[in-house]
Amino acid sequence: MAKEIKEITIAISGNPNSGKTTIFNNLTGLRQHVGNYPGVTVEKKTGVIKYKGYRINVVDLPGTYSLTAYSLEEIVARNFIVNEKPDVVIDVVDSSNLERNLYLAVQLMELNTPLILAFNMADIVKKSGKKIDINLLSELFGAPIVETVGSRGLGSDKLLEAIVRAVSSRKEKKVEVKYGEEVENEIDRITLVLKKQKIPTFKFDIRWIAVKLLEQDREIIDKIKKGSGSKYLKVEETVGSSIDHLTSILRDSPEVIIADGRYGFIKGALLEAYKEVDSGKLDVSEKIDRVLTNRILGIPIFVLIIWLMFQFVFTLGKYPMGWIELGFEKLSALITEIVQQGLIRSLLVDGIIGGVGGVITFTPNIILLFFTIAVLEDSGYMARAAFVMDRIMHKIGLHGKSFIPLIIGFGCTVPAYMGSRILENRKDRLVTMHINTFMSCGARLPVYILFAGAFFPAIAGNVIFSIYLIGVLMAVTMARVLRATRFRGESEPFVMELPPYRIPTLKGILIHTWERTWMYIKKAGTVILAISILMWILFTFPMIGNNYSQNYNGQIEKFEQSYRSGEITEDELNEKAAVIEGKMAGERLTYSAAGRIGRFLEPVFRPLGFDWKMVVATISGIAAKEVVVSTMGTLYSIQEADGQSDSLKTALYNHYHPLVGYNFMLFTLLYFPCMAGMVIFRKEAGTKEMLFQIGYTFLLAWVMSFLVFQIGRLFI
Amino acid sequence: MKRWGLRHRGGNSRETPLADNGIFYMTDAVPGKKYRIARIDGGYRLNSRLCAMGFIPNEIFYVSGASRGGPLCVFIKGTKFAIGRGMAEKIQIREI
Repeated sequence: MAKEIKEITIAISGNPNSGKTTIFNNLTGLRQHVGNYPGVTVEKKTGVIKYKGYRINVVDLPGTYSLTAYSLEEIVARNFIVNEKPDVVIDVVDSSNLERNLYLAVQLMELNTPLILAFNMADIVKKSGKKIDINLLSELFGAPIVETVGSRGLGSDKLLEAIVRAVSSRKEKKVEVKYGEEVENEIDRITLVLKKQKIPTFKFDIRWIAVKLLEQDREIIDKIKKGSGSKYLKVEETVGSSIDHLTSILRDSPEVIIADGRYGFIKGALLEAYKEVDSGKLDVSEKIDRVLTNRILGIPIFVLIIWLMFQFVFTLGKYPMGWIELGFEKLSALITEIVQQGLIRSLLVDGIIGGVGGVITFTPNIILLFFTIAVLEDSGYMARAAFVMDRIMHKIGLHGKSFIPLIIGFGCTVPAYMGSRILENRKDRLVTMHINTFMSCGARLPVYILFAGAFFPAIAGNVIFSIYLIGVLMAVTMARVLRATRFRGESEPFVMELPPYRIPTLKGILIHTWERTWMYIKKAGTVILAISILMWILFTFPMIGNNYSQNYNGQIEKFEQSYRSGEITEDELNEKAAVIEGKMAGERLTYSAAGRIGRFLEPVFRPLGFDWKMVVATISGIAAKEVVVSTMGTLYSIQEADGQSDSLKTALYNHYHPLVGYNFMLFTLLYFPCMAGMVIFRKEAGTKEMLFQIGYTFLLAWVMSFLVFQIGRLFI
Repeated sequence: MKRWGLRHRGGNSRETPLADNGIFYMTDAVPGKKYRIARIDGGYRLNSRLCAMGFIPNEIFYVSGASRGGPLCVFIKGTKFAIGRGMAEKIQIREI
């Protein structure tokens, strides 16, 4: 007999640091899907389990302390529960800290959701010798309770069992939290008005709405206001007088009194079912914190940890990066061998492998970076880092945690943008992302080496350092400017949990690392592929055909003849041919759309002292900053240009004034990070913010270079 | 000054020192010593958030550390929080 598969949806909620994500990982394993909740940048993780004839869709809600509308995460969690009506909500509770964790459970209860409580970290409670009367608590909360130990994968089966049981035999047992006579009277008053005025209650329970109105929940107020029009005035009046009444007699505002009522309910329940002892003794975490968040040692230790992280990511990442590069080189060579010379080969080798390969090459860095971030997050250190750095970062209008992506930016801007995710507040995150490009990344270094080497060989190191320094100063300045203009106000007051230190689970860290890395690779395969092809087209078409200014092929032939007749050696032939091929490449580039755009845009860049060749190099740098060097090489007809190329240095030195050379470095530092960066920026912050980033960095680069060139000109 | 809500009562500490009866602000707490929260005065949004994190009247807490001029480390209801000075100034406390 074929059994019918029943499809159900469950949501997992819980406080931050309650082990919620571990429980989710245990339930779903690697069958996870990461996306965003519609319209917001809050991450949405889902997974599917098949269990006893059920197809269970599991949704991981953001970690929250409550379901007020304080943060985006809370609104997202609440809206999901209210609108999607999951069949079961599992609230993951840190059972070593019940009083605090059950606050969310009470709010879920109030929302009338079918609830299962997962008492996580049950082992810690057992070890400490405390006893919880699970049956009694379950009775008091009107919800089944399952004990779990997420870090060791215990309790998942019992949890699934409880889900199936809850779905197959739903019992309507409502537990109501009472807030004391005064508050209850006001709730009744408001409920009465809501009913009388026939105010739409959407999918909410009317009592719940009354409570939310007393708590002045903006979301609900706006919703009711919109839904009821002028009838809302009457409600507003009643709620206002209720609030005034409560504030005057209880001398606290209603939201505090109501919260107090919820804690009262929890305390009452725990008093019966749990012997609570507030030990207050110095535990291990406290001892570690004595050192790591020490007034004097805190910052040096933080700097050391970041330095180690930097070393780990970029030093260790160098080797696999080299292998991947080698792999792509081999692939290019293979394609060169089997595909005929022509457009298709050029597209495959120069366009696709050059573009996508360049992005894929960074994958080891990305993996290592997210691995370290996951370790820092899961161990509990990240919160301390924010605590230690908050004062300094606060001065430039940023959050303590902003420091981490900014440091990563010196390596590569792409993972730095992704690393900004550790900032929960959207404005903090956006400002951090917008200034991150000024932390000069590794790909820009070859450009500096070339230009500083060409124009300031004696003091190249100092010149390059000055560019880095200008970058940091620009970042600090722009952070303050952005904070004072586009991202004014609503700087979230600083409050965050400092969770106890824990040894992270390998599984959790691997899942974390993998899902973020995968997102990066996926982008490289789609959007970046498309842009690479576009850039290739710009630099290839229109084709010059046979319209070279000189008969280059004839010249090469002539040299080949002299080689055959023994007049020159093979080395000499290769050298001469390379020079001519370089000239041909230069002419092809001049003829191409990119070359034409360069000449077309030259007037815009002339006030900066740039000629059209610099403009073309700048355009090519949009793909990736290191490409600037090879483009310059092609334009000056020098094959195989790299930062060390002496002939290119000489050519640059002969063509430009040192001031222009410096200015070009400055421009390279400031304008547009790179195309991979922008794709990730859009993914993280949306199209509008990406366009703003592109626009303002270009503008800033232009203005700064303009000032440097025009003022500098007065002195030369 | 950022308005937290419609009914912002502007309980900003520094200009208006608290009168007497042993009530002062969390920023003035002596590290390691236990106190009770007397009142939270930050507008409904901040109040709701603090309450959700366990900062409610009569709750016992102690400050376990602070970075100079930066946030405080507060131990309350079995959990440690880092809390900015601006926020800590909205919390009135008293000795046990």
